[in-house]
Amino acid sequence: MTEPTTDSAEAARAEAEPDFLKVAGLHAGYGQARVLQGLDFSVARGEVCAILGPNGAGKTTTLRALCGMVRGRGSVTLNGTELLGRSPEQTARLGVAHVPEGRGTFNDLTVEENLRVGAHVRTGRWRRGSAERAAVAADLERIYDYFPKLRQRSRQAAGSLSGGEQQMLAIGRALMLRPALLLLDEPSLGLAPLVTRELFEIVRAVNEEERTTVVVVEQNAQLALDVAHRAHVLEAGRLVLSGPSREIREDGQVAEVYLGVSVRSGKDGGAP
Amino acid sequence: MTELLQQVVEGVGSGAVYASLALALVLIHRFTGIVNFAQGELAMISTYVAWQLVASGMSFWLALPVTLAVSFAGGMLVERIVIRPVRNAPELTMVIVTVGLFIFVNAMAGLIWSFTVKDFPQPFPDGGIDLAGARVDWSTLGIIAVVAAVMGLLYLLFQHTSAGLVMRAVACNPASARLSGIRVGRVLMLGWGLAATVGAVSGVLVAPLLFLEPNMMGGVLIYAFAAATLGGFDSPVGAVVGGLCVGVAETLAGAYVDVVGADLKVGVPLVIILAVLLVRPQGLFGRAAVERA
Repeated sequence: MTEPTTDSAEAARAEAEPDFLKVAGLHAGYGQARVLQGLDFSVARGEVCAILGPNGAGKTTTLRALCGMVRGRGSVTLNGTELLGRSPEQTARLGVAHVPEGRGTFNDLTVEENLRVGAHVRTGRWRRGSAERAAVAADLERIYDYFPKLRQRSRQAAGSLSGGEQQMLAIGRALMLRPALLLLDEPSLGLAPLVTRELFEIVRAVNEEERTTVVVVEQNAQLALDVAHRAHVLEAGRLVLSGPSREIREDGQVAEVYLGVSVRSGKDGGAP
Repeated sequence: MTELLQQVVEGVGSGAVYASLALALVLIHRFTGIVNFAQGELAMISTYVAWQLVASGMSFWLALPVTLAVSFAGGMLVERIVIRPVRNAPELTMVIVTVGLFIFVNAMAGLIWSFTVKDFPQPFPDGGIDLAGARVDWSTLGIIAVVAAVMGLLYLLFQHTSAGLVMRAVACNPASARLSGIRVGRVLMLGWGLAATVGAVSGVLVAPLLFLEPNMMGGVLIYAFAAATLGGFDSPVGAVVGGLCVGVAETLAGAYVDVVGADLKVGVPLVIILAVLLVRPQGLFGRAAVERA
């Protein structure tokens, strides 16, 4: 775990590593369908970055290209290491944890087993010392502290959880990897607004306490902008708007055009 | 009553053999979604390996672990060479590939060892014990013991080791396993190796009762299919229970239903398969496939 740092020190570090994740000229697609038409953006270390946009804009494809699920052209570097051209398992081993759309929990496994699978890379056959096992146990506790509901259900099969709990489990499993970069794909999908809000609060807490860099793809722009430091708006495979979340939120007209939501009404809370 | 008990115990004995081959089928199906028609033939080749080792002077109980190790490696090799190149192919392609493997392995065995029948040594002592008046052979008890031991080891592997946990994760959701950094290809190889090993146990156990020849496992495979269908193709526990049920049903039908007798016994598994598919297609322990909208 990272040692506690003051906010200003952290800000300085982010300043020092503005290109922790650097995406340059990223093209990606499925077969003949070219979805991403050359993306350029950077995420600083410790930052939460939101990728917003309408359906079909290429948000999910962007995350899939980052983690190796779809092949991309261009360049994606994490802390200077090229990620493109690697398989998902290799990318995961470099510290990129992807929580896919639809959660992707191991439904036959118990909650605790799901979390242990998440730590597999660290506890793999060759490195299973007692120290590492203790670290995994400590990490389990840490995840349970973030998600007390998971602690209650630790021996239950993941398939029996509610949608919100499954999403928590998926994020918890990703955190067991102790990722340098956490990718969240539509965490709000199919969840009640209250549950979604709770989930984003936890993401914020994780980011603040663990200094994990997060890229979150979201349709619910209001929520995502509340948590993210910066946001990029994607349309038809291109970035049409980038900036600090506050600016994008305040630029209500742009948001309405590109996001199809009235962002300013988000201040009232509870809007569907 | 005594005779009934005797028949049931014998049924459990042959059921244990079906159970281990059914378990191999279920393992493969869980891991790769494939119904491996060549599973019986892989077990047959393993049995020939055991026979060769014993024929060259090795004791059976030493030849057994060596055979299982060879089978494990062989299963991994099959996955790597035959299955992985077509892993994204449609289901029908997979079926054809495993049927092709069936024919290939069968012919290979004939080429190497010829199609003449060979005598496989009986590893268990003659005689038996008296169980409430019924006479139970050591060979029957031995088969049950060996299969029980294999099941127990598998249970320990899957439920109490991290390798087992990873294998279950891959079987459950390969895409998510990849995202967790698991090298899915390697795990699938291990799964095939494991299945070939479990299948080899069934071949080695059944060979002394039948005669060793390349087509030896054909009948056993049908019973194993019935067992897996009955128990549910997704459920290892179901495969074992299904195997035992099929074994007992076969023995009892042969002994007590005059129409069936010894000749029509082979029809029993087919009746079971048909009945299960009509009444409960997912099997006793399987889960119905639920497609998400």
